[in-house]
Amino acid sequence: MLGIALVAAVITTAVAVLIQWLPSSASEEMDRITFTYWFATIICIAIFSLVIGVIVYSVLAFRVQPDDDTDGPPIHGNTRLEVIWTVVPAILVIAIGIVSAVVLEKNADAGANPLRVKVFAQQFAWRFEYPGNVRSDELVLPLHRHVKFEMTSVDVIHSFWIPQMGQKQDVVPGIETEIVVTPTRTGTFTLICTELCGLGHATMRAPVRVLQEAAFSTWLSKERAAGGGAAGGAAGAGSTGGAPAGGATGGSTTATGGAEEALGSKTFASAGCGACHEFKKAGTDAQVGPSLDDLTAAAQKAGESVPDYVRESIEDPNKVVVAGYQPGVMPQNFKESLSSEEIDALVAYVGGEEAK
Amino acid sequence: MTSTTHAEAQHGTGHGDMPRRRGYLMRPGWVRAAWVTPAAFFIGMYIVVTLRWLAGWDPVYDWEIIILIAGMVTAPIGFLLGLGAFDYWLYWVSGRATLVDDHASHGAYRWTDYFKVNTDHKVIGIQYLVTTFFFFIVGGFLAMLFRAELAQPGMQFFDTQTFNGLVSAHATLMIFVFIIPAFAGLANFAVPLMLGAPDMAFPRLNALSFWMLPVAGTLFLASFLAPGGAFATGWTSYAPLASEQPFGQVFFNMGVQWAGASSIATALNFLVTIITMRAPGMTFWRMPLLVWANFTTSLLVVIATPFIAGSQFFVMFDRVMHTSFFTPDNGGYVLGYQHIFWFYSHPAVYIMVLPGFGIISEIISVFSRKPIFGYRLMAVSLIGILVLAFSVWAHHMFVAGMADWLRIPMMITTLLIAVPTGIKVFSWLATLWEGKLHLTTPMLFALGFISTFVIGGLSGIYLAAVPIDIHASDTYFIVAHIHYVLFGGSVFTIFAGLYYWFPKMTGRMFNERLGKLHFWLTFVAFNATFFPMHWVGLDGMPRRVADYAGTYGAINMVISIFSFVLGASVVVFVYNMITSWARGPIAGSNPWKAMTIEWQVSSPPPVFNFDEIPQVVGSPYEYGVPGAKHVVLKGGTLQETHA
Repeated sequence: MLGIALVAAVITTAVAVLIQWLPSSASEEMDRITFTYWFATIICIAIFSLVIGVIVYSVLAFRVQPDDDTDGPPIHGNTRLEVIWTVVPAILVIAIGIVSAVVLEKNADAGANPLRVKVFAQQFAWRFEYPGNVRSDELVLPLHRHVKFEMTSVDVIHSFWIPQMGQKQDVVPGIETEIVVTPTRTGTFTLICTELCGLGHATMRAPVRVLQEAAFSTWLSKERAAGGGAAGGAAGAGSTGGAPAGGATGGSTTATGGAEEALGSKTFASAGCGACHEFKKAGTDAQVGPSLDDLTAAAQKAGESVPDYVRESIEDPNKVVVAGYQPGVMPQNFKESLSSEEIDALVAYVGGEEAK
Repeated sequence: MTSTTHAEAQHGTGHGDMPRRRGYLMRPGWVRAAWVTPAAFFIGMYIVVTLRWLAGWDPVYDWEIIILIAGMVTAPIGFLLGLGAFDYWLYWVSGRATLVDDHASHGAYRWTDYFKVNTDHKVIGIQYLVTTFFFFIVGGFLAMLFRAELAQPGMQFFDTQTFNGLVSAHATLMIFVFIIPAFAGLANFAVPLMLGAPDMAFPRLNALSFWMLPVAGTLFLASFLAPGGAFATGWTSYAPLASEQPFGQVFFNMGVQWAGASSIATALNFLVTIITMRAPGMTFWRMPLLVWANFTTSLLVVIATPFIAGSQFFVMFDRVMHTSFFTPDNGGYVLGYQHIFWFYSHPAVYIMVLPGFGIISEIISVFSRKPIFGYRLMAVSLIGILVLAFSVWAHHMFVAGMADWLRIPMMITTLLIAVPTGIKVFSWLATLWEGKLHLTTPMLFALGFISTFVIGGLSGIYLAAVPIDIHASDTYFIVAHIHYVLFGGSVFTIFAGLYYWFPKMTGRMFNERLGKLHFWLTFVAFNATFFPMHWVGLDGMPRRVADYAGTYGAINMVISIFSFVLGASVVVFVYNMITSWARGPIAGSNPWKAMTIEWQVSSPPPVFNFDEIPQVVGSPYEYGVPGAKHVVLKGGTLQETHA
């Protein structure tokens, strides 16, 4: 019996060691999760091998002969054994519980001076906001620094997960949830939504880049500068929007158009339009919602000009729903969550030349 | 399936004393159901239309509300009324003559009796099993459809709404109209016999419980016809997504009500039966472990099921009546849904596995020819699981954003459930030890169950440990875990139980070679399908996605292929069941030489089970004890010579 259990243990250990079960860690938190994982795995291998050892041995050793009609020995129990297999598992699981509690405590510790990043989730896009009103639809993180994410959702429940960094947290409408991640290697990763959030759930992803501390600072200050310029409207604050508008008065109308085109393109990306809509100009090919490539026919059907149709569809998406699609899928809060400059730019960007 | 002797006479006299003969259209049955159901629909519809017209609401014909009220409430009531599920009670309520000993609808004498409101627990048990296996096959077919989509990255066959609908309907059918009621079916057949009782305590309620089940299953399936497709938010149906989905969602909300009502009524019936109808001498400590298991399961059902009923009503009200129980605006509490939902749905996991524990205890003991090891601790550990089951629900919410302090206590209680579960596993192993193992099909499924369930239990330890759960939650690791528990656990035990009691139910023996083939196909394909999902999930593939990163393409192809093999294995099973039922060899009353009471009467048992109430004289598991008896049947076919 012991022999079979040992063989089972060797095979199970090989399966545990030779296959890389967890992605290679990219955060301090994932290091600790990996440790907890191995702590539990050792205990589980022992229990699994014991059980499989007994089953296989019993099948081999106690299998009845074809002509044997007798019963086995009437053993009703054994108090000592029963106490052992009540107490030992209890001790083992409590040990796992203690290790887990300690790790959980450490993984929630953001230190004294974390980088605070606000996360906004909505069907089906992620947006991030760094200190100083810097908005981004790419998540850029500094190496070896605690990052505290303060997250909220504008519609349904989403969930924030970067597999190599381990930590996961639901993003819930109506409350703010938090999570701490401390990246330990540079590179690119993917942020995945792991809570079923509707039609575009599988496409709700965002790029993640971990940079050296210095490179991160450069990136942040560059974004901050850019944020005060062309994409000023994106910060949503009316006062910062005043500066580029003032600057544009001196320029020609084409310059304004160029800035608007840039803002439209940026808004298209940050509002997550491409997660659901095909739009060649923006290089997206999603099929969740109707294609935005040629809206003339749809606008005609609605009895409106293309720009009016686009604006109406952004501000009140349920008013006209294209045949074959459902109401209620597209977020209904763009009128509140986007500034009027952003919506104007988006209408011009999607609705084409006639927008002006 | 159509035997019995003296009961035939009782059947005849019962019928003759019926208050009056009724015309073809008015007699309970499918003809009456065929016109009462649409009539009830129109009544419901015009209640809605009249109220809307009186209130001046536009449109008067709001089809969503009409289908909700008329299609999901009044029409099903009309269907049950037409079939005759309420006849006796309505006679009684209206003060007309009823007959206490009316056995007109008791027992099956021809195959059509299985399509009636029948009050015989053995008929109801078989009705349950056939119906639930129909939904099992449909649910499995849905799974193969979405496994076809998942075989390759990218979108091939379905749009995402349909995909989400398939995933949700698969889980819902399997949980609510297969696993939970399949156990109710097996227990319906076995428990009264094992107790030495002539039937369940409330046979008419028992019949009603069964007939609510096809209503639930039909609603779940009908959602595919709804505009916008089937409910698509998973079987967990989290708010607020569920309150803003297309109309198909309401079919889930209401289907759960019918399935839930069915399960609560059955559980009450089991509790009363087990408490009050044990044969003389059948003390609690002499009850077979299957009875113990159904006793604890029924307590779980009665206490927990109202919570899911509430959660689904509230989500539906948020949608239909614009309340805000679970929407963040107007003061709703989004996480409230998850707390209420899991307060049922975690105990539901035990509702789906404790009856299986009972089945395995019977089978392991009989086919090891040894008493069950540590009988009392086995029973006590069931109670331990029952109590702990209500204190662990929030382990489904470790990443949900609930109060942080709840995580550690919920982790500890969750980990502690491993202790009573471990006691059961180790006791089964000790029962095998030095036994005389007969590796029949039910025994193979029992041994297969222990090996796969241990994997499911151990992956449960990983998920109880909060830091690991934070990484693994909502990934394919969860999909792997739940299938090791509910397929490797529950479904294996359902197969084991079905093969075990098949000779008793039908009087015929199944084909042992096909049974073993079915086991090995299922065992291998099951592990090959679900074991790789552990890795896929830990490495970074979230669950409930129609499309995924290309790196997981190859392994998903392997998983899909084995899932089709798993599907094909069911064909072997169905073929074996149908042909053996029709023309298998006669089984005899006790082919397994088991000691529990159901094996001491003929196969299939007489309509009223026992000619005289049996006398229980000892433990049900005294294998190897010379001269030991569990029960003495007087005047029955197998009269005992000494007590």
